[in-house]
Amino acid sequence: MIHSTPPDCEPNSTSTPPEQTGVLVVRKHHFLVRWSHWLNVPILLGLILTGVSIYWASPVYQHKPDPTTGNFDVAADIGIWICAHVPGQHHYSDPPNWIYNHMSLGPGVLALALRLHWFCAYSFMLNGMVYLAGLVLGGGWRSLLPRRTDVIDALKMFRYYIGFPFAKLTRRNWLHPIFNTKYNALQRAAYFSVPLAGCLSVATGWAIHKPMQLHWLAAIFGGYNAARVWHFWLMWIYVLFLVPHLILVLADGWDTLRSMIVGWSTRLPTRVEPRQVIAHEG
Amino acid sequence: MKDKENGDDSFQPKDKPSTGVEPKRETPESPKAGPEGATPSAPIAIEKPKAAAAVEQRGDADGSPSSLGDHKPGTDEANPRVAAKSVSTKRPQSFFGERPLPAIEMAPRVLRYRSRRDFLLFGTGALAALAGGAFLLPQDTLGRLGMRRNMDSPGTEWFLNKALRIDDDVAEALYSGNRRVPTYTTSQITPLKNNYNGATPDPGYISGWNLTLDGLASGLGISLDIRNLTSRFSVQEQITRLVCVEGWSAVAWWAGLRFDDLIRAYPPMSQAKWARVESSVNLDASGNPDPYFMSLDLATARHPQTLLATHFNGQPLTVDHGAPLRLLVPVKLGLKNVKAITRITYVAEEPRDYWAERGYSRYDGI
Repeated sequence: MIHSTPPDCEPNSTSTPPEQTGVLVVRKHHFLVRWSHWLNVPILLGLILTGVSIYWASPVYQHKPDPTTGNFDVAADIGIWICAHVPGQHHYSDPPNWIYNHMSLGPGVLALALRLHWFCAYSFMLNGMVYLAGLVLGGGWRSLLPRRTDVIDALKMFRYYIGFPFAKLTRRNWLHPIFNTKYNALQRAAYFSVPLAGCLSVATGWAIHKPMQLHWLAAIFGGYNAARVWHFWLMWIYVLFLVPHLILVLADGWDTLRSMIVGWSTRLPTRVEPRQVIAHEG
Repeated sequence: MKDKENGDDSFQPKDKPSTGVEPKRETPESPKAGPEGATPSAPIAIEKPKAAAAVEQRGDADGSPSSLGDHKPGTDEANPRVAAKSVSTKRPQSFFGERPLPAIEMAPRVLRYRSRRDFLLFGTGALAALAGGAFLLPQDTLGRLGMRRNMDSPGTEWFLNKALRIDDDVAEALYSGNRRVPTYTTSQITPLKNNYNGATPDPGYISGWNLTLDGLASGLGISLDIRNLTSRFSVQEQITRLVCVEGWSAVAWWAGLRFDDLIRAYPPMSQAKWARVESSVNLDASGNPDPYFMSLDLATARHPQTLLATHFNGQPLTVDHGAPLRLLVPVKLGLKNVKAITRITYVAEEPRDYWAERGYSRYDGI
């Protein structure tokens, strides 16, 4: 206020040139969003591992018991198939439990799996509320809302992703569709529907946890047994979301991954346009 | 030009009231930057007004290299935003409309400091999550991952029990004596398997069977045979769902006397809050006696749909389903629905529970 050039700037500008210019950054993620995002990793992992262990006790997908082995669980069939056909698994000692030994806490630990599942489920609900608070406080919720143009924009993105490997192979130029928004339409659809799936998982979870006191909730999903099936398939939404999520974040680069830790990004999403505006003005 | 860059140099985000923390940490660096003897906090204090001034300056001289900063923080973004709006969207911004991300200019050292802080924080969080996983997961699972936890931690038990109690408290809070469970029609009845945990008892016990009541207001123990029970009380029938902790469920027709009617006929002692329901004929997997005992809060015992059932799907109970008298408590998991009850004891303190001692919940309200 008093000094037009603060005393520390002059030596600074000569001694350490990189310090001179400020870096332009945008705030991308509120810190509550960042923390709850990363907390979802252990919580969802815990929910899925314990959930599959709970599934073991009474599999949704069953068939008539096999006359020789007595096996009735489709997941056990898959394990047997894997041990018969996947290289390196031929000598696996317990083929029917292959799925449960590799994708859950293990078979026969129902009591423990239930306790951990409740713990993770309550954590998941609290974490979801933290996430929502972060969306509201940071204003990020507006970037997640669906738009009227989303269908067409999503198709554009599909076309881009599908054409990308061929364009790379043929060394052609393959331009990313330009969007003036924080996320493209496909991202928006994903980031909007995964929290929605979280809400549905919580709702179906309560429906099968308290099917008598909350029988109206179970009825919404078609009754107790149907709510179990819902709850099971909602798990796959997280698994199916995770695959492209990881691939695309890694492909998109360090800035995107870092922004979920530090909150800011040096990529200015709408940078192109205001420049044009200024050019027109000039 | 050069002046202007200097002016940009120490931009701080304007909406950052906590700057007071950071400059202090950076004091080791600032002496070399400001040998003129400015107090460490002085540069920051000056920055805010300077930023505004510099922004104005820049707004005049557009087209300069630093016009990257078209997105300005907070108050001084009116100009470019209007311009941007006139090109991109003609509509006025609605409440639900996405706002452009505010761009702010940060001193690189501040960014570096914050990145370091955030990476350290999140790294610590990741380590804490790993430690938490190692603490909570069972030995077998850890062993499969190639990890070994040498001692069995009583803390894990304590912690998980705590989490389980919270869930029990939620279940208890959800319970309402007035809320009936859904009932079904005969066409919705599904098969019910014999899920005796161990061996199914030999039917020999049925002929000499008696139900003993203890902890009554009268102070006496009472023994009732099945004829006393069926002749004295009115029969209630219902088609309800039985839900097992394992996840399966079955809809079945049940008939018997209301537990509430038995409580009215033989009132428990006044301090009693719990019933211990026991079956002494229960067997373990190898056929040895393994008495089954279970805690039931009296509020649930008095629920109008809690039965002492004598009939199943139109027939007297078979041994598979707990002849001659079993508990049917549809607001609890199946494991509370004790088969072949031999004794009911009313007590003040929560009694032991067979499955709670094996790691399951105590309350099991559903």
